[in-house]
Amino acid sequence: MEPINPYYPIPVKIKEIIPETPNITTFILDGKPFDFEAGQFAELTIPSVGEAPFTPSSSPYDDHMEFTIMKVGRVTDALFNMKEGDLVGVRGPFGKPYPLQNFKGKEVFIVGGGVGFAPLRSLFLALLHDLKNYKKVYIRYGARTPQDIVYKRLIPEWQKIDRVDLLMTVDVGDESWKGRVGVVTVILDKIPVDVKTSPSVVCGPPLMMKFSTQRLVEVGFKHENIYLSMEKNMSCGVGKCNHCRVGKFYVCKDGPVLTWQDVKDIEEPFL
Amino acid sequence: MKSYLLSPDKILTFVKELSRDGSLYYPMFEEGRTHLVRFDDAHEFKPDFAKIRTAENIKQFFFPSRDTVAKFPKDDVRQVDKRYLFGVKNCDLRGVDIHDRVFMGWEPVDPFYKERRDKTIMISADCPEPEDSCFCNLLGLNPYGDAVCDLNFTELPAGLLFESYTKRGEEIIDAYKGMFTEVKNDDEKARKSIREKAITKLSKINSKPFKKDLPARVEAADKARIRDARDECVECHACLHACPTCYCFLLSDYKKGKDIERVRIWDTCYYAAYARVGGGANPRSRIDERFWNRFQCKFDFFNKYENTLACSGCGRCLLGCSAKIDIREILWNL
Ligand SMILES: Cc1cc2nc3c(=O)[nH]c(=O)nc-3n(C[C@H](O)[C@H](O)[C@H](O)COP(=O)(O)OP(=O)(O)OC[C@H]3O[C@@H](n4cnc5c(N)ncnc54)[C@H](O)[C@@H]3O)c2cc1C
Ligand code: SF4
Ligand code: SF4
Ligand code: FES
Repeated sequence: MEPINPYYPIPVKIKEIIPETPNITTFILDGKPFDFEAGQFAELTIPSVGEAPFTPSSSPYDDHMEFTIMKVGRVTDALFNMKEGDLVGVRGPFGKPYPLQNFKGKEVFIVGGGVGFAPLRSLFLALLHDLKNYKKVYIRYGARTPQDIVYKRLIPEWQKIDRVDLLMTVDVGDESWKGRVGVVTVILDKIPVDVKTSPSVVCGPPLMMKFSTQRLVEVGFKHENIYLSMEKNMSCGVGKCNHCRVGKFYVCKDGPVLTWQDVKDIEEPFL
Repeated sequence: MKSYLLSPDKILTFVKELSRDGSLYYPMFEEGRTHLVRFDDAHEFKPDFAKIRTAENIKQFFFPSRDTVAKFPKDDVRQVDKRYLFGVKNCDLRGVDIHDRVFMGWEPVDPFYKERRDKTIMISADCPEPEDSCFCNLLGLNPYGDAVCDLNFTELPAGLLFESYTKRGEEIIDAYKGMFTEVKNDDEKARKSIREKAITKLSKINSKPFKKDLPARVEAADKARIRDARDECVECHACLHACPTCYCFLLSDYKKGKDIERVRIWDTCYYAAYARVGGGANPRSRIDERFWNRFQCKFDFFNKYENTLACSGCGRCLLGCSAKIDIREILWNL
């Protein structure tokens, strides 16, 4: 059989665009160009601009694919100018999924910051799909301000689910905000899970990753049970172009989620 | 291993025959450097097999510096023709070996690399006269093809003495059986002596081996010393573009009519933006970090990944360096 072209993006239309915050938007694609498991990522092509890596934020069990994306530069600026019905391209799935088989019967402790909730949502929806398999799911989420919280339209429903415990904090509050104020570590003061056995999963901006990981290590999570999303520069997504290499890993192929055990000897692994 | 002798008067006929089957490239010496040129019946055939590797590395035959790898929204199939590389050197075969691992060794297989590799026959030649820039011996290589190539030959007064390393090599020998003559004991002796002389010369040029634990030393290198070592680097990137083992690339999209062409372009890790991520964070914003990344990649990372060093000792980087930085000195001093 001829090998397929790993650089070719499958054309697919944008079906719906849902703004989440002033600079984060969810793009719902018209269908599902390929199957994926939670944690795997894709390369999204904006025609004649280029591509960038994003992790689907939708459930792997859905029949469509969503991305929740923050506007930060060239590719994302162009994406934010697109309209429903416009054509994009998608390649994937790339990288390794979260090892859900290791999470079975356990309390899963999820820590997110900012747009880092995007891949975590996909993980969370995958866990919800078989919630009976897990003891309990904890989510600790931090955003800059109340306006910067993603999935405000969905969170109240999630908070009602039995065996789901979701807390939020914002760095800076406003009159309407009744919740916790402070960086994400303020909601990591009490960690009500069995740290000896529980997996924890972290995704967010570099500083948040650094301090959350420090805290998880401090309270006793096993290093190999701390799963970290590594944001690195990527081009090919398939372990060839070398852009994403860190330590002894191609993050696109061996990650994008690595454990603290994998990366703790790397100087500034989150930079 | 069985050898096959092609007498001097048959070489041109053999090359002509092969060139009818696919375009054939051979080394020609011109103005102080050797280049791989395409054989063309209309021009005089003036090969120089004794010289060291060509000025340009051979990775461009498998992994061109600019290559269209996809079209959007509709992809199409691009054809690659059959080729013969006649008289390449073992250091460049190590480069191909490294690229074979990256592009074909793990999933997904790169279809463009594979097709070119499948359609290119590599016939290497001995290096009787290694030069001061050569240090293949420090990387555990011989100055003659003994793997990766399809055929290797040694140039002797009696002709070209071939050995075959692949089924494809055997098939060529088989197809042109009538051209080869019987190998005498003296031919094999002459080859042995040429090789011994070349190896002795290499060990005089590079008398000091790299330390056994080179990867660990690269990993543990002292930051202040790295800064000193890179002090001279003017960031011309010549070392990286010249290197037969470097495989970094970037996919870039261009508008072509109504369609988009995705082009794969050689990249180099010395560019400041190479590792920068969205929003501007950069794990290697300083040149000394990027300078050392090259060493980490070749001598530590690739060793961890593939249990081999991603350098062939071809010496192109030290000859090409604007600041005359000799990679050997840095490695010896670790
Ligand atoms: C596995 C993974 C999953 C991710 N998931 C998400 C997600 O779900 N949601 C989200 O919002 N973000 C996600 N990100 C981050 C996202 O990929 C970046 O925000 C995105 O790449 C920014 O692209 P940009 O072009 O808009 O930004 P820019 O800052 O313009 O560019 C980003 C990088 O691309 C390089 N670059 C830009 N233009 C060029 C050019 N012309 N030529 C060469 N290089 C260029 C720059 O050097 C820079 O390093 C993820 C990242 C990874 C690695
Ligand atoms: S480095 Fe070795 S194989 Fe390469 S040209 Fe020099 S002697 Fe030949
Ligand atoms: S690092 Fe230098 S000597 Fe080694 S393969 Fe590359 S160009 Fe040749
Ligand atoms: S993105 Fe190309 S090797 Fe990882």
